[in-house]
Amino acid sequence: MDENINNQSMRKSFGKSLLYTLPMFLLTFVLMTGGRPDFSDRHGTIALLITFVGLNILYFLMHYTGKTDKLRAVLFIVFALTLSFTLIKNMVDIRQTMTYSQGDILECNMPFCHLVIPMLILPAAFTQSIIYPGSILGGFASISAMVVLWLGASVILGRGFCSWGCFYGGWDDGFSRFRKRPVIRKIGDSWKWMPFAVLLMVALTSALALTPTYCDWICPFKAVTEFEEVTGIESAAKAGIFISLFGGLVVVLPILTRKRIQCSFLCPLGAINTLSNKVSPFTVKIDRQLCNDCLKCVQVCPVFALTKDDVKKGNVSIFCTKCGKCIDACPKQAIHYGIAGVPASRMVKFSRNIFLFVSFLFMAIFASGSIITVVKSFVNLFI
Amino acid sequence: MPESFILGLSSGSSCLLTCGMVIFPYLMARSAGTRRIITDLSLFLLTRFLVYFLLATLSFYFGKAIFTSPVFRNYISGILYIIFSGMLIWYAIRRSRKPGCPARIVETVNNRKLVPVLLGIVNSLGFCPALLLILTKSSAEGTIVQSYLAFLGFFAGTALYFIPLPLAGKIRKKKVFETIGVMATGLAGIIFMIKGITSLTGGFIYG
Amino acid sequence: MDKIKMTAGMTWALVCLVFMIVFYFGLGSFATGFSKLPFMKLNPNTSGGEVAGEVVMDNCTLVIRKPVFEGFLGERRKGFVQVDWRGEVSENINDTVDFNFDQIPDFIIVINRDLNDASLIAFNPVVKDIGLSAPTSYGWSVRVRINK
Repeated sequence: MDENINNQSMRKSFGKSLLYTLPMFLLTFVLMTGGRPDFSDRHGTIALLITFVGLNILYFLMHYTGKTDKLRAVLFIVFALTLSFTLIKNMVDIRQTMTYSQGDILECNMPFCHLVIPMLILPAAFTQSIIYPGSILGGFASISAMVVLWLGASVILGRGFCSWGCFYGGWDDGFSRFRKRPVIRKIGDSWKWMPFAVLLMVALTSALALTPTYCDWICPFKAVTEFEEVTGIESAAKAGIFISLFGGLVVVLPILTRKRIQCSFLCPLGAINTLSNKVSPFTVKIDRQLCNDCLKCVQVCPVFALTKDDVKKGNVSIFCTKCGKCIDACPKQAIHYGIAGVPASRMVKFSRNIFLFVSFLFMAIFASGSIITVVKSFVNLFI
Repeated sequence: MPESFILGLSSGSSCLLTCGMVIFPYLMARSAGTRRIITDLSLFLLTRFLVYFLLATLSFYFGKAIFTSPVFRNYISGILYIIFSGMLIWYAIRRSRKPGCPARIVETVNNRKLVPVLLGIVNSLGFCPALLLILTKSSAEGTIVQSYLAFLGFFAGTALYFIPLPLAGKIRKKKVFETIGVMATGLAGIIFMIKGITSLTGGFIYG
Repeated sequence: MDKIKMTAGMTWALVCLVFMIVFYFGLGSFATGFSKLPFMKLNPNTSGGEVAGEVVMDNCTLVIRKPVFEGFLGERRKGFVQVDWRGEVSENINDTVDFNFDQIPDFIIVINRDLNDASLIAFNPVVKDIGLSAPTSYGWSVRVRINK
């Protein structure tokens, strides 16, 4: 079974690719329309159709070309951009500003994002309550819905959430692709353990202060969503910190290193998702019989998930986000998506098909809302 | 107390990294069994606790004598926080760090029963940047109880690392925990640096 | 053993496939169910605490919440009491508050909404100062710092 693994066999014929796209076609249509298609709003319908067609073309191409990473990245980056646009637009519509005030916090109507989750765990366990000023259920980005979404995705995808679900990761991913070659090549491998240290500190400080300290002080993505209005020294310091972190870890360093620096060196949720990689059935395997130890995979991996030792062992580390970059880059097609318990080079096509379906479906539906909103804005402008 | 607990928890791993490999052999060598290990470890921790209690008392009264006004206290403690947290960050990121445990001096002591006590004294008087930060904090506290609580939090944070010491040999991937611990130490340094800067500029981090 | 591992892995992967299809259809129900778990309620430090009583005034209602001292492990020595003005709040607020409902005034709050300036006159020795004072969509909210 699957004895001759090369790029030709990962590619499918036009007809076969269409056939594989059909379930995605049907499911995305049902989920994007909520099962009750309503085409009364002309601009909304156009936006829906554009998004729907775009998503399914990407999925079709993944099967037709046999490639994963670049096509995934298109949707991933578009998701990040459109989500920020949608959030900012939402804030400006409601409050006429990107900033939130003390009053917004007192009213507990802050939209929730999954990066808060590491800070909720200890207080939830010890005080039986949630320390985030958001709405438990209902409204825009409620706590319950976002936690359930992340839990489901984490169990199924493991750290694949970081490349197929996180609506901030696209920023990092996008900037890491600016240059063809890195300027900074040598980065210490031990830095990839930093998110665990960050996780430890934010979990402790949040539990003891009963406030989400990462959101309050560190989160770089406040630069592209919303942030506390600057009213004094403390809020000015916070603004300085998140702007510096966004500029440094999300923009400059990814451009210079071609790595996802924020995701690899700061994100505390990434640390938790690393652990959930142990639960997910999907993994990435290296076929030692085909591998020629060129170590191109180590060079291209954006999250430091591969080392020389990992390549020798034939397994990627728990840091793998299953982005597919190493798979596409390997000149011997020795790397492939796999299923836990199934040896490398066995059931390669099946593993890829099932993983792509699961991960792309998740990302497509998660991203569709914000993409439709942005496309509709453009449609409103031009039609 | 929460801040000092965090400082103890984050720097305790460095403390263990530095001194654990000196203390562990003394605690384990020629042990008669679990009871002996627990007794030695308890003596070690109790001694550390008593030394910290003494340091808390001394630093509080020293602070009372030196800090004659709240404004002066804010400025001096702010500056000291910045200096010591800078040292803590440097301590964490130093590449060629060869930890020198002050407890090595105990190698010269022959009396087996005194060893855990002497180890406790020497280890707690190591005057690492984390301890300097706690001394600064406790000297700036308003009451002696708050000073004791600051040291208690620090002791609790560091003690957590020494309690599983007898199991150290059984823990796999120690290097990973050491790496994370050292990074957490650096982050704790950053937290105290921010606290120092905010103290200096007259703001407050926690209400 | 290898066959068992393979079977287990494949089964788990297929379960995940089915679950992912079902997941989005059932997201609303899952979220509603999840929200009913015991820990899914806002911490009083975040929500401001339960409402203890209301004082109906001419154009607005003064909502007095229970004092909050909740800490991570047990209660803290320092806490706050939140007071909300709901309705048509006047430009200048000058109200006496008895937060423990013992018929003895605890503090007076004076707020100039235009200047966003708030001050406090404390009668009860546990009352310290104003922590937060901010306009809200329903009127105005103030958190007054108190000791236990």
